[in-house]
Amino acid sequence: MKKTIKKILVANRGVPAVRIMHTCRDRMIPTTAVYSTPDRLAHHVFMADAAVHIGEAPPIESYLNMDKMIHAAFQSKADAVHPGWGFLAENAEFAQRVMDAGLTWIGPSPDVIRTMGDKIQAKVLAQKANVPTIPGISSVTDIEQIKKWMKDEGVSFPIMIKAAAGGGGRGMVKVEGGGELAQALAQARSEARKAFGDETMLVEKYIENGRHIEVQAVADEYGNVVHLYERECTIQRRNQKIIEEAPSPTLDKDLRQEICSTAVRLLKEIGYTSAGTVEFLFDSSTRKFYFLEVNTRLQVEHGITELITGLDIVGIMLDVAMGRKLPFGQSDIHPNRWALEVRLNAEDPKNFSPSFGTITRLQVPMGPNVRVATGVYEGADIPPYYDSLFMLLMTAGADRADAIRVMDRSLGGNLRVEGIKTLQPLLLSIIRHPGFIAGEFSTRFIEEHMDELISMFKEKNSEDEVLKIARYVAEISALGPQKWM
Amino acid sequence: MDVRAAMEDKGLVRPGMSPKEIVGRVRSLDGVCFTSTGMRDAGQSDYKNRHRLYDLKTLAPYYDRMGLFSAECHGGARWHVGVMNRRESPFEELSILRELMPGVLLQTLIRETNLWGYRPYPKNVIEYVISKVDIDVWRCFSFLNDVRNMRTVAEVVMKRGRLFEPTISFTAADWTTNDYYLSVVRDIVGLCAGTDEIVLCIKDMAGVGDITRIGNLIDAVKQKYPEMVIQYHRHVTDGLAAPALLAAARAGAKIFDVEEDSLVRFYGQPPMLGIQAYFEESGIPVHLDRKEAEAAVQNVRQWISHYEWAESPFKGYDHTVTLHKMPGGAFPSSFEQADKGEFLHLMPAILKVMSLYNRIVKYFDVTPGSQITWVTCSGIINKYAKEKGDAGVRHVTGLLARFIEEKKQDFESMERQEQEELLMLFRNAPGDFKNLLLGNYGKLPVGWPPEWVYKSAFGNEWDERIKERKEQSPLEILKDDNIEKLRADLSESIDREPAEEEFILYLMHPKDALEMIVFRDKYGEAPLVLPTDVWREGLKKPGDTVDFELWGKPYSIELLSIGAEHEGVIHVVMRVNNKTRVYTVETPRAKKVATRMAKGANEVGAPINGNIWRIGNPERGALKVGDIVHKGEEVANLEAMKMENAISAPFDGQIAEVCAKLNDTVQEGQLLFVIEKA
Repeated sequence: MKKTIKKILVANRGVPAVRIMHTCRDRMIPTTAVYSTPDRLAHHVFMADAAVHIGEAPPIESYLNMDKMIHAAFQSKADAVHPGWGFLAENAEFAQRVMDAGLTWIGPSPDVIRTMGDKIQAKVLAQKANVPTIPGISSVTDIEQIKKWMKDEGVSFPIMIKAAAGGGGRGMVKVEGGGELAQALAQARSEARKAFGDETMLVEKYIENGRHIEVQAVADEYGNVVHLYERECTIQRRNQKIIEEAPSPTLDKDLRQEICSTAVRLLKEIGYTSAGTVEFLFDSSTRKFYFLEVNTRLQVEHGITELITGLDIVGIMLDVAMGRKLPFGQSDIHPNRWALEVRLNAEDPKNFSPSFGTITRLQVPMGPNVRVATGVYEGADIPPYYDSLFMLLMTAGADRADAIRVMDRSLGGNLRVEGIKTLQPLLLSIIRHPGFIAGEFSTRFIEEHMDELISMFKEKNSEDEVLKIARYVAEISALGPQKWM
Repeated sequence: MDVRAAMEDKGLVRPGMSPKEIVGRVRSLDGVCFTSTGMRDAGQSDYKNRHRLYDLKTLAPYYDRMGLFSAECHGGARWHVGVMNRRESPFEELSILRELMPGVLLQTLIRETNLWGYRPYPKNVIEYVISKVDIDVWRCFSFLNDVRNMRTVAEVVMKRGRLFEPTISFTAADWTTNDYYLSVVRDIVGLCAGTDEIVLCIKDMAGVGDITRIGNLIDAVKQKYPEMVIQYHRHVTDGLAAPALLAAARAGAKIFDVEEDSLVRFYGQPPMLGIQAYFEESGIPVHLDRKEAEAAVQNVRQWISHYEWAESPFKGYDHTVTLHKMPGGAFPSSFEQADKGEFLHLMPAILKVMSLYNRIVKYFDVTPGSQITWVTCSGIINKYAKEKGDAGVRHVTGLLARFIEEKKQDFESMERQEQEELLMLFRNAPGDFKNLLLGNYGKLPVGWPPEWVYKSAFGNEWDERIKERKEQSPLEILKDDNIEKLRADLSESIDREPAEEEFILYLMHPKDALEMIVFRDKYGEAPLVLPTDVWREGLKKPGDTVDFELWGKPYSIELLSIGAEHEGVIHVVMRVNNKTRVYTVETPRAKKVATRMAKGANEVGAPINGNIWRIGNPERGALKVGDIVHKGEEVANLEAMKMENAISAPFDGQIAEVCAKLNDTVQEGQLLFVIEKA
């Protein structure tokens, strides 16, 4: 059904809100920003055509508050809602309530969001669509079951015993060989009983040196699903991605074809619409991939796919939401560049402890082949209540080495952030590390190399140094000579 | 070698020459040559080491063409004051000077086992430090003339092929006879295997040798060791430097310490142009390019006015230095201390006590000895002044004068009550005085002081303590330090790997080096690039600008406005290369919110920065003082950047204190709970 969109409420803050508003401006569609009390002077508020205060700092009173969001849309005469990523982006109830209110929801249908949000159901659906999932069995009570399963399915050690009700590492034991099996199962069951009062166990193959590879796709209401190729998001800290690239340096042509068409098959099976991502775990040693989950939203790292394809994914989401057909087919998509993204989080680069406060200096990288998505400006505050991501830095080049070189220039030579701690030095160390440059890494890269990465932190330039000198001049001018003088 | 010929031959000596070649060239010179102390001792003696490299380095081009034997630009107290106050690293100084005057021998002054610090270092630290410093001439002295203490420095320096300059500390006293000094020279010649690869320095650090005495001593050394190249170092304090230098030259000394005439005040070295003229008039050619030297003297006038504030308040020559013997280098800082401590009026009495004290405990008044003397004697006078006023001060100086001058230090011949007073004289003396008595610095030049001094310093324990007294050199006694452990300590303190240079600063002066590293991390190269008036006073009024170069690029800082103080903060607006920047400056009055940090085992701190959104846990609800908690039980939850972080009790116990409120923003390590163990 064809619709028009006259004004969009962007139900988010920071980097995603600013990103969406850029495309809206391209389309000359006015936007409404929402803000919590500490975000009153935030960057996204001034990017928008109108802004509505939606509550106090805690997300539950503001950015997670559905009533206030919908009220803000009506108040500002917006007729559509884009959720960005995070907050309410994968909340089926919110999508439904937006639609029930007569507004256009820019994203996948509530049903799809709900189904893919249930991890067990998602795995079942994936198996139905013939998508490989991590081999495993459920309802395990004795080791004979495990041995039989391993024999039948040709699974070898290591394996992972997990409590079905589990989480937080409790009731989870990695098993390296047959000898440890009985003891490991007993331990996992005992832990699970204590922790969750439920000793239901499941067993999965343990993927060592796993890499995180995902496929970006877009789909319309008419059953067309087109993939926009893959992204590699293996460099993570505490299970959160911090460096992404497209394409993946580890896939060959055949595997790329296979993983992308598998993703399309799954999305067709579930009747997907709008933009979405299918995430896989890739086993480097066996070169097999396994389904992890579907992200039913715009993803943080969508920008690098835009850089290699030349498309605007947010724009496509708007078109699909207005009931338009995808204007291209699979054969029209020809990625022809390499792109890299780093996430600038306001964190201590040595221990990831959050850092917040005022950005006293911000110099944004420029020059050929650089794209910056920022949620802040010089003088802006980073409040302690929300995600630590404040800027995405993307670079592109004819090949991977080019993209890395441009990233080195952008991170090392151009970007300056003062007033808060950021991941900048860590990111620079990573992209200069021989393991990263060779494309050989797993999701454990950062923990394995942390000391070495930290030892690479240092680089001075005279632009930074002169500001230190100026600080001295300021202090002496204000306070007079030092005591010993 | 004729002086004129040597001058035309592009200088007498150059870095890179072997010690033997350097010594040979000076020996064969038909005349004498100079070491300029303009970059080190001149500033130490009259300006408390405040002269900055920013100004001193402008002398370098002249030095490079002047025909100097060497430039003393390093060591002594300049080293420590650089770290502590000027925030210039001695390593930066060396590399900058090396580049600006590549043809000049760079010279340091080093205290045998104390190096550039104030305590004896073990052998491995000495070896480590000496091998890392790019110095051509190593002038090394011992305040006890204990040549054994020089062994490690001598070995490393000579092995590196650099010139070792063993130094005799000189003073005038009844016990400092030619025989005494010749025994010291004999030890030196033994240590250095002859006279071919060393220059011997006679360090008259207070300027107390009278004219005949100096000529006579140098003559005695030359009689015994005709090939010895001798350098004479002397301060001008007594007003008789010029004739004393001439006497030394006539007796055969070859190298003389001088400084720019325009730098000379009352405590440093004699003026180079004046001494050259005086020598040449007396028929002694001087290897010095007069034109370049005059230009250097003129150069000083361009910047010396920035340092008037640093000059000693005690101006004028002081011939009584021959009695109290306070060395040139210690004068300004001692007077500064007296000024700050508000006992400037007691200085004459302190100097009088020093002149008596140095006849009881015999050593040389040069670092660290001069500090021991100063602290001990000023301590005695201050104690009497505080307890008994001016009468007390007169009393104690009278007592000491009677004991030494009248009774010739015959303790038994003093009245009972006087004896008791003497037995308390050193009771509050500094620890270093006591270390000295116990032989921790080495052996005293003419034996240990009499027993009553030990009784006075140590009280009833004196005979026990005297048994600890060491006859060996500290080099033989001190156990090696764990260098890697020290490096790890520094690394932990600054939260990064230190540069090698930073580590050496830390080895010498741990506390001040740490402060300097923090300073430089914060203010970068401000100490190196800012002109002295701006370094000291900043920019004064709107529109004032400072231009400088940093790493080969031009920079400009212009003051726009300084705001009024408000709640302990001043806003300073400046244009840095045309970009406007606002600096928030905390005034000393700024309210410091003291954050309590978790320290003890029973204190629970925040694991990361964040927001305390729950105290207690969902099962039990809020926790309060007196509640019993179990090991592993969640006692609070902290949210940061969307992530929840449970904080659990480290053991079974009772909550004694809740130190955070709900919704407080806390920092990493901040105290949240005190729990008493069950």
